[in-house]
Amino acid sequence: MIELPTTSGDGHTSETFVPVFSNEELVFTTDETAQIERWKSHYPTVDGAIMRVLWLAQEKFGYLAPEVIRLSAEATGIPYAKAYGVATFYTQYFKKKKGKHVLDVCTCFTCQLCGGYDILHYLEEKLGIKSGETTSDGEFTIQQAECLGACDAAPMLQVTNGRYVMQLTPEKIDAMLDALRDGKSLEFESMTLPQDADEMGGNRRSDTQAVLETKAPPIAETIL
Amino acid sequence: MEAKKDNSGRITDWRSYERVLLPSIKDLHRLDVYEENGGYQALRKVLVSDDWTPAKVTDEVKASGLRGRGGAGFPTGLKWSFMPPVDPEVPRFICCNGDESEPGTFKDRQLLEYNPHSLFEGILLACYAISAGTAFLYIRGEFADWITHIEVELAKLYEKGYAGKNIMGSDFSVEIVIHKGAGAYICGEESSLMNSLEGERAYPRVKPPFPAQKGVWGYPTTINNVETLAAIPTILNKGGDWFASVGAERHPGPVLYGVSGHVNRPGVYEYPTGILITDLIYKVAGGIRNGKKLKAIVPGGSSTPILRADMIEGVRMDAESLKEAGSMMGTAGMLVMDEDTDIVGFLRRITHFYHHESCGQCTPCREGTGWLEDIVSRLERGEGHYRDLDLLTDLCTQMEGRTVCALADAAAWPVRYTVERFRDEFEARCRPSLVPAGISI
Ligand SMILES: Cc1cc2nc3c(=O)[nH]c(=O)nc-3n(C[C@H](O)[C@H](O)[C@H](O)COP(=O)(O)O)c2cc1C
Ligand code: SF4
Ligand code: FES
Repeated sequence: MIELPTTSGDGHTSETFVPVFSNEELVFTTDETAQIERWKSHYPTVDGAIMRVLWLAQEKFGYLAPEVIRLSAEATGIPYAKAYGVATFYTQYFKKKKGKHVLDVCTCFTCQLCGGYDILHYLEEKLGIKSGETTSDGEFTIQQAECLGACDAAPMLQVTNGRYVMQLTPEKIDAMLDALRDGKSLEFESMTLPQDADEMGGNRRSDTQAVLETKAPPIAETIL
Repeated sequence: MEAKKDNSGRITDWRSYERVLLPSIKDLHRLDVYEENGGYQALRKVLVSDDWTPAKVTDEVKASGLRGRGGAGFPTGLKWSFMPPVDPEVPRFICCNGDESEPGTFKDRQLLEYNPHSLFEGILLACYAISAGTAFLYIRGEFADWITHIEVELAKLYEKGYAGKNIMGSDFSVEIVIHKGAGAYICGEESSLMNSLEGERAYPRVKPPFPAQKGVWGYPTTINNVETLAAIPTILNKGGDWFASVGAERHPGPVLYGVSGHVNRPGVYEYPTGILITDLIYKVAGGIRNGKKLKAIVPGGSSTPILRADMIEGVRMDAESLKEAGSMMGTAGMLVMDEDTDIVGFLRRITHFYHHESCGQCTPCREGTGWLEDIVSRLERGEGHYRDLDLLTDLCTQMEGRTVCALADAAAWPVRYTVERFRDEFEARCRPSLVPAGISI
């Protein structure tokens, strides 16, 4: 067992660290490593790539356990302490295991005034958990989010750092939960500009879903 | 339809205004469609013609009167001219600020979705003007889907030779790097954004030195908002004079208004600056929902001071008019509140936001934002006292202008002005003190 200082959320307590992932699991594939190398070349020093690498690691392992942060630091070529400092600075990096689907309900500003808390309470009741908790089957975590930059669609939520679900109603939430439980992916929702509705009869993009199926590689050439 | 001009020859009439930042063209987000509609002509023009030196591009932007759309409204051309003289040994950078986290602001998201190439072309033109070889496009991590959207278009840009080495066959080269954030409001603050890019904890830096002297990795850097840069191609195509003739004289140009809250038609609207707030609410955004009356607005994101319904008559959405009315333009993301809104609860949620987002570097901000939240929460629960209201104002004074970055000010303003302008509603929640004089509570 490796002894590593770790935190229990408040950033202060030190406890004995038991890694969750085995050494066999803790590797990046050749493809992933190649991608990491590309990212590293996009910044004057490799340090700039750490956020992308942490993102990749979180997508792969589900959350950033200390040993996952260590792996990310090593792959990037920066000290563990520095990567740890970055990982703990941002809310979207999960430091603890969460549900399979993390529902970030915006209760900020516009969403508050348009029923964001009602949506949160509806979810709490429906899933039988409180904000910040995970259902016992590990399917859902509910959290409160700060403004997600989609106040035109208030109230809204984000699913696991990905899709936005706009203009929420209880019916829409029911449908969303069913779809997520069935393992279906949610459709991307475009918010129509009101002026577009008047001038060109609605939605201007014809390829939104298709575009989101493709993943473009990081393109820039080495800088400096 | 030709845009109508007013008596002084300015384009201020919103009804006849034709959009340029988000023109009504289907699938404009695609490179081919953007090009068919005159896209990348401005870039081609400056690259091909010897006439269009970098200095001339900067001058054109200065002439346009464009002021930054990220919140502070700083003149863009002037900011560009702060860059030191070119030294071939020293790399130079553009950072495009797409962190868009100020509550009530969502215009950059719509721009990324519907007209990303105007941004890419603007970034390239800005790089040309300040001789930068690399542009970092910092997008908040929550916009994951929009990052995917623009990565697809950026790949096309590289394929076509409009980004990367020797753009359009010239000796001008720019690498565009999209940087994905991970959820921190403070990263919108320019020096915090630079630390975030550098792989540091995203603490704001003490200024000076300013980014133009010492920016990312210590190199000269210019930081502009997404909407600011997306306006550059229009300025080059239609001329700085045209841009300067749109909207309010001292804060000109087309602007993306994001109207949200209790209106019938929330959304992003492109109109000249200086539109009457009443027009924006009642004529553009369809008026208040459910036939209710207006209570108040917050004109440009959560940090801009709230205006009561009786304070907006004749007030226009531009820096000067809003300043006179006692507020600010901010990001032009306007929140509309109906008569039923609980102002105390609303302010409590704002104080929570700033407390949550304070990076904790400066004591007045780290402690002050917590105190603001605690006291306003106490008032919301009906457990506060009259003197808490003065305590709040006092706290704001202790926070304003005493910190590394402007987040502390941004947290203090809404408290100061909401308490001042809705004092009766706060007092109605206060409990009279039952404690005799001389005993501290
Ligand atoms: C706390 C704080 C948050 C900010 N957030 C943003 C933001 O999300 N987006 C943005 O463009 N500017 C933001 N700004 C303003 C930037 O620091 C900077 O002034 C701006 O990006 C410059 O671009 P402009 O001149 O084109 O407006 C923020 C400033 C502060 C103090
Ligand atoms: S003012 Fe607040 S957010 Fe800004 S640097 Fe200080 S502590 Fe951090
Ligand atoms: S307040 Fe919820 S998205 Fe802005």
